[in-house]
Amino acid sequence: MSNKHLFLIPGFIRTPLQNGVGRYVGQLQRVVLKFCKNNGSSRGMREFIESGLVNFANENPGVVVYLKPRRHRTAVIKAEYLNGDSQWINCRNFTQEEVLKWLILLKSQSKNATGTRIKKLWHTDHPSIQGPWTPYTFRDPELNLVEFPNDILSKPAIMERSSQDELIELFNNKKIEELESKRAE
Amino acid sequence: MSLCRQSFLLLRRSVVQNVCFRVTETRNIKRWVSPTLKELKRRRDKIGPEPEKPRSSFLEWNYEAEIYAFGKRLGEEFDKKLLKQALIQREYANMQEFKAKEQVIVPLINFQEFPVSKETLSNTFKAVVAVLKRSKDLNRAQIFVKDFVLSQMNGKDVYELWDPQNPYEYLTTLLNEKGITEIEPRLCNQSAVNTILANFQVGLYSNRKLLGIGWGENIKIAKETAALDAIQRIYKDYVPK
Repeated sequence: MSNKHLFLIPGFIRTPLQNGVGRYVGQLQRVVLKFCKNNGSSRGMREFIESGLVNFANENPGVVVYLKPRRHRTAVIKAEYLNGDSQWINCRNFTQEEVLKWLILLKSQSKNATGTRIKKLWHTDHPSIQGPWTPYTFRDPELNLVEFPNDILSKPAIMERSSQDELIELFNNKKIEELESKRAE
Repeated sequence: MSLCRQSFLLLRRSVVQNVCFRVTETRNIKRWVSPTLKELKRRRDKIGPEPEKPRSSFLEWNYEAEIYAFGKRLGEEFDKKLLKQALIQREYANMQEFKAKEQVIVPLINFQEFPVSKETLSNTFKAVVAVLKRSKDLNRAQIFVKDFVLSQMNGKDVYELWDPQNPYEYLTTLLNEKGITEIEPRLCNQSAVNTILANFQVGLYSNRKLLGIGWGENIKIAKETAALDAIQRIYKDYVPK
């Protein structure tokens, strides 16, 4: 199966707006944790909110965290990025460690990257520092002093022997052999 | 197979006739599904797309928290009151004043620009810089502008932004200031002369040292590109004070 048959948008790793050149700005703007207060599938999310959430919020003051309890619905993380993307993660039956892991992933991303296939693990705007090859790069300096028209340089660089030449050579060789045999007699 | 079906139908009919209140459920294609969905789609299309709503109209929205996180995200400490003031648009402020004076005009109240225009964004950015200057100092604001605006120039070609009309003349004046008066343009290479793909390479030399080298479809253009290259080489090691 080729990449054409995977329904993924191909792309490269990119940084928005030269982020990190001047200073680094975390691209996760806000995160909404949606959960149910008594359903078992939200248990891990509830445990995370009780024990780990304050810590997470302290560590990441640039991320606004909202809590949204709602009855009898699956726990969900909704993340919103500075570029306007939003990402939705189903957290049904997640443990609190898993919730934290996903939050850390969201924090370190710059956009919703689901459904993209990264073509390469690196990307550069300048793939060649040396520049493209031209007929003048690595030119033999000897050519600076040559005067044209020049007999040697006017010939093709690689002259292969044609089959006609080979036949002529064979014919000549045979002639010589015949001559030598006559002499021997 | 058909015979089987016939017998089945007969059997079912007899069941219906015998017990008149019984509803026979059959598993077949639900023929109402498609028309219903189509009708719903038609109505949806008729209404048109939903208007885009600003994030602040959502239930989960805390303006104070957003303002706090804004400063923390950018790594700056803003004066909260000033920042809030800076983020209010003049039109919106006027509207609020108007609303306070005459509470009758209802339709005007919801007027607020959304999605935000580029002009508003640029004005707001300037306002944020001004807030930073007031809440910290000028130096901090300068660093802020350097980090966010000037860093956008990173990796860009100088000649995309600056298009000198006579680069060779510019170069000569530039070198005269440095005390180099003699510039010698030399034709280094040429190929495909007298064809449509003619190609010349000109190098600019001064006292046997290469200043710059450039290509072009004729010698004049090649000389100018060489001058552009030379200008770039002069400023290669330039560090702003």
